[in-house]
Amino acid sequence: MPEKQEGRANTTKRSVTDAFKGLGFSPAGIMAMLILGLMPVYITDNAFLRVMISSMMYGAFAMAFDFTSGFINITNFGYSAFWGIGAYTTAILMMHYGVNPWLGMLAGFLLAGVAGFGLGLLTIRLGGIFASCMTWFLALALFAVATNWVGLTEGSKGMSVDPLIASDSYTGIFYIMFAIVLIVYVVLMRVSNSNIGIAFRAIGQDTDAAQAAGIDPARYKLINFTISCALGGLIGAFYAHFSGIIIPKIFQTSNTVEIMALSYIGGRGSIWGGLLGAMLLLPVMDYMKGMMEWRLILYGLFMILAMIFYPAGLSGLINIVRGHIGRILHLSGKD
Amino acid sequence: MDNIIYAVIISVIRGGFYSLMAVGLSLVFGVMNIANFAHGEFYMLGAYFAYCGSVVFRLNPFLSILFAGAAVFVIGVGVEKAVFVPLRVRSKKNWLMNTFLLTLGISIIMQNLVRVVVGNRNYGLRRGYFQGNMQIFGMGISNDRIICFLISMAAIVGLMLFLNRTRLGRAIRAVSQDATGAQLVGINLGFIYSFTFGLSCALAAIAGACLLFKDPATPIVGLAPLYKSWFVLILVGMGNVGASIIGGIIVGFLETLAVDWLGSGWMDVMSLGIIMLMLIIKPNGLFGKKGVKSAVE
Repeated sequence: MPEKQEGRANTTKRSVTDAFKGLGFSPAGIMAMLILGLMPVYITDNAFLRVMISSMMYGAFAMAFDFTSGFINITNFGYSAFWGIGAYTTAILMMHYGVNPWLGMLAGFLLAGVAGFGLGLLTIRLGGIFASCMTWFLALALFAVATNWVGLTEGSKGMSVDPLIASDSYTGIFYIMFAIVLIVYVVLMRVSNSNIGIAFRAIGQDTDAAQAAGIDPARYKLINFTISCALGGLIGAFYAHFSGIIIPKIFQTSNTVEIMALSYIGGRGSIWGGLLGAMLLLPVMDYMKGMMEWRLILYGLFMILAMIFYPAGLSGLINIVRGHIGRILHLSGKD
Repeated sequence: MDNIIYAVIISVIRGGFYSLMAVGLSLVFGVMNIANFAHGEFYMLGAYFAYCGSVVFRLNPFLSILFAGAAVFVIGVGVEKAVFVPLRVRSKKNWLMNTFLLTLGISIIMQNLVRVVVGNRNYGLRRGYFQGNMQIFGMGISNDRIICFLISMAAIVGLMLFLNRTRLGRAIRAVSQDATGAQLVGINLGFIYSFTFGLSCALAAIAGACLLFKDPATPIVGLAPLYKSWFVLILVGMGNVGASIIGGIIVGFLETLAVDWLGSGWMDVMSLGIIMLMLIIKPNGLFGKKGVKSAVE
């Protein structure tokens, strides 16, 4: 009898791990997510929670960005455009038409997806640097539009937006952001571990070879681009309610650069690397708040170093460490 | 009628500076295959050096512009040696996109280092380089505009003569056509790369120095020239040095038109819209040549 019970416990245990694996979580990943998710239970300091929320936000952006740059090898240099589209959609819907902010966030997600799909249709056939320029120009153009269309966006003076939930504590908002991080992570991991994800990787490594193998690069690139942009819009819509005021500067290039730097420092093609990079770097950067310049210089330096000397980034480092640990465990298990 | 002539003159002058920026960008793209996103930062450095030359050292305007060009040439060579040489050793795959990201990193670092060193204050010339106006077709145009335009044109002509008439210039062109072939006939690639990058930076710096009379030096002054020179490149086709000159003038015209029709705020929207249309309809550029650099994979 006890034997049978143990066996059943074992199978349920295995099926739970399998379920998590299916969602893209390794054991270490689950641990990390648990630590992150339980944070507000131990620390209720609002300033700290605010930093954590914005770190998670940048981390989520970096993951969604990496989905395009790390997989199909297109650098979306106008990523701030989708951030801004999401943010302005929900803000305008809420403040001008009184739409519920949750619906507004959904609208931001959808509109950014539509914009991404449209832009994708136009840019996908362009190679590397041209696609980057095209998306960059879109962000620059939207920046000018948001500054000049004062009737809709209130121009450079900024548009104030009501929060998602009225509360003095940041705990609720922390969990909303945490949920968004989980959604982004799970969606990206699910897609990248599926057949479509394999096609993405094949295209990113060698478009011609992928085409020869019967993959239609344009179609897959478009799917990838749309997903990445739509998620950017969702996070951007969250940002509008979180920050309370949005200004056209959302569209500026330095926002894209910050996301991009995080995702490259985290490691290309890993997805979780960007989140890890953001959670490690941004709190440190926050201590350097008074020294914005040095913060950006550090970003630039890290980016150059990651580019030249260590393209695998943080995730590459961790994989090496994990490999070593695995080997040690394996050896001790044999004994 | 007067308005039209005035608009034409203003467009040509405006476009001349874009040409100067775009030529440098195009040169580096053609020879080294680098998508330089730090080009605006060299423009900015040029503006600071020119300020330094003309206000601190009290040099005459020509000398301070020349000083800016020379100083930034040295910086450009230094950057090439420090960053692109190691990258060239390490990475062959995906070179173009890597250079794009790398120059972005350089641009962030330079912008913020400048901010640390001199702060966010504007450094501008209170009365420009040259006082007074000149009458052209009965229209008063400031001496600054005309003389600086002539200086930038002289720089472009000088560059063309250098590329076509001198040994070193021909070597640079040879490398842009076929780097391996050039190496086989004994051209020192490392030297050519460093020199070309320095030269391109110097051209950007001259543009920045010339425009100091109207745009004071700030850490972010280089952003607009950067994306405008990218407009030009995409408009005429990448790596096409000669066509960039015409491209600059075309962009100058477009912007003057947009300012007249829509007001200055919408200028960027219109030119960006046109460039995006351009990318959709004719991604290889107006003067795109087969076999140079193609936009479509």
